Amino acid sequence: MNPSGINANESVVRPSQVSTRLTQLQGYGLAIVSVGVALGASLLLEHFHFRAAAGQLLTLAIAISAWYGGRGPAVLSLILSCVAMNYFFIEPLHTFRIATSDLPYFMIFTSFAVLVSWFSTVRRRVEQDLRQARDNLKVEVEERSSLLDLTHDSISVRNMDFILTYWNRGAEEFYGWSQKEAVGKRSEELLRTIFPQPVEQLRAELLEKDQWEGELTRTKADGTQVVVSSRWSLRRDRQDSPVAILETSNDITARKRWEEEIQGLNQELAKRSIALEASNKELEAFAYSISHDLRAPLRHMVGFAELLRKNATASLNEKSQRYLTMILEAANRMGNLIDDLLAFSQISRAEAHKSVLDLGQVVQEVVAEVRQDAKQRNITWKIDPLPACYGDRSMLRLAFVNLISNAVKFTRTRPQAEIEIGCTDQDRGDPVMFVRDNGVGFDMKYSNKLFGVFQRLHPQEAFEGTGIGLATVQRIVHRHDGRIWAESTVDGGATFYFSLPKITRS
Amino acid sequence: MNTLGRILLVEDDPKDVELTLTALDEYHLANEVVVASDGEQALDYLYYRGKYAQRNRENPAVLLLDLKLPKIDGLEVLKQIKPDENLKLIPVVVLTSSREEKDMVASYKLGVNAYVVKPVDFHEFVDAIKQLGAFWAVINEPPPGSVRKR
Repeated sequence: MNPSGINANESVVRPSQVSTRLTQLQGYGLAIVSVGVALGASLLLEHFHFRAAAGQLLTLAIAISAWYGGRGPAVLSLILSCVAMNYFFIEPLHTFRIATSDLPYFMIFTSFAVLVSWFSTVRRRVEQDLRQARDNLKVEVEERSSLLDLTHDSISVRNMDFILTYWNRGAEEFYGWSQKEAVGKRSEELLRTIFPQPVEQLRAELLEKDQWEGELTRTKADGTQVVVSSRWSLRRDRQDSPVAILETSNDITARKRWEEEIQGLNQELAKRSIALEASNKELEAFAYSISHDLRAPLRHMVGFAELLRKNATASLNEKSQRYLTMILEAANRMGNLIDDLLAFSQISRAEAHKSVLDLGQVVQEVVAEVRQDAKQRNITWKIDPLPACYGDRSMLRLAFVNLISNAVKFTRTRPQAEIEIGCTDQDRGDPVMFVRDNGVGFDMKYSNKLFGVFQRLHPQEAFEGTGIGLATVQRIVHRHDGRIWAESTVDGGATFYFSLPKITRS
Repeated sequence: MNTLGRILLVEDDPKDVELTLTALDEYHLANEVVVASDGEQALDYLYYRGKYAQRNRENPAVLLLDLKLPKIDGLEVLKQIKPDENLKLIPVVVLTSSREEKDMVASYKLGVNAYVVKPVDFHEFVDAIKQLGAFWAVINEPPPGSVRKR
């Protein structure tokens, strides 16, 4: 039946619903046809001398018209029936005249026909409403169950005996059991569920709180074991007795595995940091022992050598006195090495007190200090503006002291020394500071040794030093998450670069 | 050993003792020095115990204290004498090889009057000891109850 043919007063009928009600034209046609058929049948029966069937047959025709055609066709068939009755069956026959004595008969017939058609219409409407309600319900149920099938979570329902009564598509896909295979089975047998607590306890908790949550280990149809996070909700009927359990579960096997991995890594990390802490302690003890125990014998060597020189100058020849001087020089140098090494290890052990600071100001201070020591030198200073940065002021100051004193030291042979301090930002947006000089430079072949502890690229006689300055600078830069490198040619000056992380708002 | 002393030198290393005494001798202060070779001896001296039981009831004018000592170390000695009403007024100069910040901080927290790192260079060492001796034993007025050479 075409939806466009639905009666106007039933406009709420859904398009999907099929109505057996006829169009108006068909209704009136049906009225004419049914009255005609009833009339024909009555005449036929009368021909075979069956009397008094016409009234009933015509009433039937009216009822059929009312049932299928509605009110209009019912009225039409009533009028046609009255006319046909009068013409064919009521004396005088074959005229439309009505005898007064026949009027009550007509009235009763009409009332009866009206009553039948009214009943018929009402019943018809009730039936229609029922059918519509049923159809609506069906659509709703279909929609809901298809919604449950849309989710990737596994949803199942079991009764209080743990027998599955519902199994959504998510469950089918995840566990590998089809709805047909699952429904009717005991869930924990089908899935070989391992519960985190005894089932009785779980059931008690469920009955008490109406819900339960936990992790279950299950086995899929293909035999693989999975861990699921499962939520159970209890459904109760109107009498408040529990009737079913709804379970939603999702796969957390991968998460579980990551968690275990992370836990393992954390343990490993903890072990390593303990080891690191131990080696730091060891280093600290070592530095402490150097500071105490190595300096003492050195002091004694120097002290007694001095006393020897003082007491025996007269009896010693020049050569022996020179030997004594050598001993003293060597011991003093060793003292300097120990002091520098301690200062260097201090850089690694000391806590960094970081703040936002003005590097330009730091450099100004350092240059002023270095200039004092190099008054007699002819040095052209070029100091560019430097950015603010985030770091430990005293450490960064020490880095600049080392770099700038190096620049002063290694330009000693130049009649006109030039030292430039500036900033570029070429290292992935992080500011890069540089200290450039026109001094003796170094061979890039040995640049890998540049920042090593006690590594020197120049002979002690030409340029003094313990070889710890650049190692210290490198350590400071590394402690600030920066990089350090240098460019140079022999006799062509050197440039030392170091980067510091850009200041971020956080 | 002379029971009369105005400098108590607590030092375990005999070489250091000899160098220190040599330095102090330039001001003719060596005879005024009592040497304790560990913390226990120092405390014995200060509390008139053991071999110092019979000495005069007078405090030294200054205590030159090494930190790294056998038995009872320098910081422990400080912890014992600083709460003592009779001893806490004695000026204490820590004389040590240690440049460690934590030692320095710990010493000052315990109320020492000076902290001197023994220089490696002998001339500097002698200078430092001479100045210390001159200042604390000659220039400085020690608290009442101390021994002082007239």
